[in-house]
Amino acid sequence: MNEATLFLISFMLYIAAALLYFAFLFSKKAAAAATAYKIIFAGLIVHTGALILRTIESGHAPFTNMYESLSFLSWSAALAYIVIEGKFKIRKAGPYFILIVIALMALASSPLMPKEATPLIPALQSYWLWLHVSVTLLGEAFFAVGFVTSILYLVADSRERKSNPGKPGISSARLDVISYRCIAVGFPLFTLGGLVFGMVWAYKAWGSYWSWDPKETWSLITWFVFALYLHTRIVMGWKGRRSALIAIIGFIAALFTYFGVNYLLSGLHSYA
Amino acid sequence: MKSVIRFFSSVKLAILLLILITVASILGTLIPQHRSQPEYAAMYGQLSNILIKLQFTRLYQSWWYAFLLLLFSINISICTLTRITHKLKRAFHPTIEKEKKRIQALKIHKAVKSKDSLESLSDSVRTRLSAKGYKVRSESAENAVFLTARKRTLGLFGSDIVHLGLLVIIAGGLISSLGGFRTSFTIFEGEVLDVPRTDFRLRMDKFETEFYPSGSVKDWKSTLTVIENGHAVLTETIEVNHPLSYRGFVFYQSRYGTDWKNMTLEIWVKKKKDSADVDKLKIKLGRRVKLKDKDMEIAAVRFVPDFGIDADNQVVTRSMEPNNPAVFINGYKKKEKVFSGWIFAKYPDFDRIHSGAENGLSFQLKGIEAPQFSGIQMAKDPGVNFVWVGCGFLMFGLFIAFFWTPREVKCIIEKHKGKTEIFAGGIAAKNRDEFQSEFMQITEGIGRLQ
Repeated sequence: MNEATLFLISFMLYIAAALLYFAFLFSKKAAAAATAYKIIFAGLIVHTGALILRTIESGHAPFTNMYESLSFLSWSAALAYIVIEGKFKIRKAGPYFILIVIALMALASSPLMPKEATPLIPALQSYWLWLHVSVTLLGEAFFAVGFVTSILYLVADSRERKSNPGKPGISSARLDVISYRCIAVGFPLFTLGGLVFGMVWAYKAWGSYWSWDPKETWSLITWFVFALYLHTRIVMGWKGRRSALIAIIGFIAALFTYFGVNYLLSGLHSYA
Repeated sequence: MKSVIRFFSSVKLAILLLILITVASILGTLIPQHRSQPEYAAMYGQLSNILIKLQFTRLYQSWWYAFLLLLFSINISICTLTRITHKLKRAFHPTIEKEKKRIQALKIHKAVKSKDSLESLSDSVRTRLSAKGYKVRSESAENAVFLTARKRTLGLFGSDIVHLGLLVIIAGGLISSLGGFRTSFTIFEGEVLDVPRTDFRLRMDKFETEFYPSGSVKDWKSTLTVIENGHAVLTETIEVNHPLSYRGFVFYQSRYGTDWKNMTLEIWVKKKKDSADVDKLKIKLGRRVKLKDKDMEIAAVRFVPDFGIDADNQVVTRSMEPNNPAVFINGYKKKEKVFSGWIFAKYPDFDRIHSGAENGLSFQLKGIEAPQFSGIQMAKDPGVNFVWVGCGFLMFGLFIAFFWTPREVKCIIEKHKGKTEIFAGGIAAKNRDEFQSEFMQITEGIGRLQ
């Protein structure tokens, strides 16, 4: 068993779960969704094995290039979904959410992403690599779940406005609460991993905790957007549509911080 | 003054400022920062002068970005202060509710009748609440008991602690940018350097580069000794991610390099007729040495670490790494130049010696030795500890704001026509689902007493 095989098996399991989830969506058979959930869980375990093997094979944390960090992000997203689903039982969101996991896995396995493990450059040889990247990506994974539930909110909301009772789904009010709870978990994680651990590591490695490097700036921008989400919601009582829109913008900013900055803007964070 | 405070205590202002700072920060990542005027002219043409004048080209250090941050800081402070007095009052002087109507108006509430006496019922409610971690306060009247139970009251101040953390971080940033300084220098093995702006010296005892088997750099290590008043006080090996800290000054391993100008070359000269007759020479760049044949001399004239030929047919070095080291030598016989040409370390049979006459010699570049220097980045940052303390507040505040949210249960228990009646209501600003189930657990037990 090598890492690539395990990665592929977990990918297959996620796809199988997605198919079952969509079968559930059309057939309304709850058993299908329950099985899909179990399959995602199995996929997550196999995926964990892949990440552990990668760590052993390469001798360093499994997120030093785009392939590794995408694989870790999809692992985090699957984990975040397992946690949120376990708590809120939002099976109808499952099919859409698992699509994000699959998209990330597909991107990781695309030929654009170099897969060979390379030895760590001096700047990355630090235990802060583990702390900074894993906590940040975990936070972003919760933003991703919040993104899906926010989109589903908008759909549910417009359906309810048309008062179409023929298609019962999750109520929009519930989706609104779940989105908030995702961000309530994602925001502290992102702050800790992305900003605080990032600053500590930058200080240790570059001699300056803040350099206005594009990736730093964009993580601050992402942070501002979610701060806006929390203040408009908690202090000004914005809920529903406007809240959902800010959550969506926030996830797009997080995605740009993670992905876009590397390809579109240059800076100190040239590794990943 | 009052209107100023009202202006700054507005959440709408906070949101406007957040949006403005966000948009400005985005602009700063789109417009390349700290470039030269001609570069901007090439990028933006006419617009470049305006951009430079309005400091969009050094946006994060601009007066107006600083001004936005200042407004934001004032806004955070005033918002927090105006709200905190109210919160402190709530935390330390909880009101005990005596109006049944107001309890029944709460989103989470319940009314239960019981045959128990007023005392035993209020005791049992109290025990139930204490068992769930609530702190209970009560007041008794003739035929009634009023209870207010709370827990996680600290969570009330989560957002304030976050705001305090942010202010400390911003203050730390200000101290860093005003009182900090940063410079870099290079230092060779054995060299002793006066450290700028300090009264101590730094000696580099040893510098080494470690490589992976693949040839890429694994690590750079500089062993540095701090010398103060002529005494060595501290010796430490620094590497990337492991700086040396002394008296508030921090020294980072930031780069390394090779001083190719002060190098020593090892050149082997062989007789073509008798290859066992080897003349092993050590020669400094730019110097001449005599061969065994005392009439002959060679000079190492030019060295390139990575030999290449450019479009104009000129010899250049393609990098500063010793990928294809080559040296140009001149040969002299009785002070008269007789040959010259390039010899290559990696291609010993491929020399390009142009000689006036057949000299019967072959040359090999056997070794190159050049002093390595270490690039050290030095920084003094008096604001950094403020930033860490601020980050501590920030994280602690976020944690309690989201996961340690205050919960409050209010009860009125009264005797009414021989029965005891209890009115209970609950308040939780966040995470109402969990609170509701806790509230149900507490009140369910009472229901069974009937």
